[in-house]
Formats: sequence, C-alpha cells, structure tokens
Amino acid sequence: MNRLARDAGLLLLTGALAVSATLTWRHWTSTAIVSAEKQLQSRQRLAVLPEGSYDNQPLDSPLPRPAAQRPNSRILAAYRATRAGEPTAIILITQAQGYVGPIVLSIAIAADGRLIGSQVVEQQESPGLGARLGAPQVHWLEQFDNRQLGDHWALKRDQGDFDQLAGATVTSRAVITALQEALSYFDEQRSTLLEVTPHE
Amino acid sequence: MNSVYWLAASLVPMLGATVTLREGAAIGVCAIVMVSLHQVLLAPLRQRLANWAYVLASLLLLAALASCLQLALRAWLLPLAIALGHYPALLCLPCLAYDHLLPDQGRWRLLVRHLGAVLGICLLLGASRQGLAELTGLHLASLAPGALLLLGLLLALYNRLRPGPAHPRRQGKL
Repeated sequence: MNRLARDAGLLLLTGALAVSATLTWRHWTSTAIVSAEKQLQSRQRLAVLPEGSYDNQPLDSPLPRPAAQRPNSRILAAYRATRAGEPTAIILITQAQGYVGPIVLSIAIAADGRLIGSQVVEQQESPGLGARLGAPQVHWLEQFDNRQLGDHWALKRDQGDFDQLAGATVTSRAVITALQEALSYFDEQRSTLLEVTPHE
Repeated sequence: MNSVYWLAASLVPMLGATVTLREGAAIGVCAIVMVSLHQVLLAPLRQRLANWAYVLASLLLLAALASCLQLALRAWLLPLAIALGHYPALLCLPCLAYDHLLPDQGRWRLLVRHLGAVLGICLLLGASRQGLAELTGLHLASLAPGALLLLGLLLALYNRLRPGPAHPRRQGKL
C-alpha cells in the first residue's frame, strides 16, 4: 500500500511538472509563433507582386469584400498595393475546391485587368501530381501571367488556351476556373477595389 | 537490441521527412533531442517507479516533449515545421522503442552510437533524395516510396563496398 501511494505520488508529480513545463513553454513561444505566422503569411501572399512595384503595406488594410461571390470559388480577402498613392495592383486571395481539398491562391491583378501573377498559398493535392502546381521547376502557373478576362480560360482539351498539369485534370480545371472568376470579380468590383482614399 | 522493432518505429519519420537535405538534418536533430531528453528525464525514475507507473510517466514526458518540440519548430523555423508536418510528433515511437530495447549495461554508449547512425542516415537520405530529384529530375526520389527504394539501394551499396563477410543482420536475416 505504501509502495502504491509512493508510485502514485511520484507519477502525479511527474505529470504536474510535464504539464506546467509545456504550458510555460507555450506561453513563452506564443508571441514568436504569432509573428512567424504573420511573416510567413505576408511573404506568401505578397510573393505575386514584383519587387518595388508597391510602397505601402497592403496586408495592413484589407479591402471590404462585397457579398457577390463566384459560383466555384470564394474570395477570402482583397488587398490594394499602391505606389506613391496610385493603385498598382489588387491582390485577391481566393479558395477553390481541388481534387483532395481546398486550394488557396494569391492572385495579383493590375489596374487594367491584366493578371500579374499567381501563387499557391495552401493546397493538399496528391503528392507528385496535383501538388506540383506551385512547384518552381514546373512553371505551370506562369502560363497565366499577363492574361486577361477575354482569353479562353480552359484547358486545351476543353478548347481553351492552357496546358494542363500532367495527371491532374481536376486540379488544373479548378485553378483555371478560380483565376477566371477572380478576374471577373475584379472586373465587376473594379471601381470599389481601385478607389483610393484621399490623403488628409 | 532487437533491430526489427527499432526499424519499424524509426522508419516512418526517416522516410517521410527527408525530402531535402535540410529536412533530413532537421528530423535527425529532432530525433537526437527527443530520444536523449526522454532518456535523461527517465533515468531518475527508472529505479523508483513500479512498471505500470513507469510506463505512464514515460508517456506523460513524451507528450510534453513532443508538444514543446512542435512549438519550438513553429516559433523559430515555421516553413520547415510546415514541411515536416506531423513527423516530429511521430518521433515518440522510436523514443518508446529505445527505452524498451536498450540494455541496462552500456546503455548510453549504445544510445550515442545509434543516434549517430540515425543522423547519418537522415543526412544521407536527404542529400541523395534532393540530389536525385533536382539534378537528374528523378521525381520518384522526392516521394516516400522512392525513399524506401533508395534506402534499400544504399544498404546494398554499403554491403557491397564493405570488405569481409557481411553480418547476418546486414543480409536481411534478423
């Protein structure tokens, strides 16, 4: 009985120490984690813009999103990049349904409605197939750069302009639809998105 | 020390998280940190606790260590933490296997040797997978099944190059 009580006491002490050490550690790292996440998010979302094409902090002032959503994708956030007070680009964060899970893209659109570039922020597609959509050596997303809403937004096998990602038709179609819908969203909301608040 | 259990427990993080040299180095260092801290923390408890309480204490300590490791990775190496996914938490399995399988005599020397070997294999796998995928365009190397094939090839190469008769363990007879 004595032995049992001693074991239980020692076990309780170990448990209490383990839990309190973990909680202290969590408290101690929480600010670093928050700032690291914020930094990573801004790097991922702003990577679509060329260096030096803006001089504001676009992520600090998200634009209000009008309720009109697209049928196959959802605009999660919109930001305005400006240089010397003039809007140079609108960044749309959009989410589409891929083959496995949601694909989140960051899309930069110039004031004239041209697509500047697009980047993958999040995806869970099949490794080796759909997951290669953002791989730097594949250059798949780059074929959409400088395209406009008037182009044929479909795969070549669907009588469109674009190559598909090998072995990932569903992913390719989802991304193309999301890009097209982002461009049409921009076209529709153009005046709201580009409107510059006057300086005091 | 029975290598079957050890292999089964260590193989998953080793194959899953060694896509690049950087990831291989990270998972190797994580394995060293986790296993040695677990052993150090358990050392004072080993003689004092009955068997059932010892197992529970070991699990509690592992949970705390794995949480702290994940938090530290997220705080200071966030992109790497995302690339590694849940594999650092899976290092708990080799920790349990080590604790169970290490003999009482010469425990620490064997542990150091094994952890050195683990780090070496992780670095080698990471370097060869990254090299194969980037230089030769062999895409299979960056996927987990390719890693298993590569590990087998590396073992065969080691057996071929090492002079003298191979130990039965290295011939796949356990």
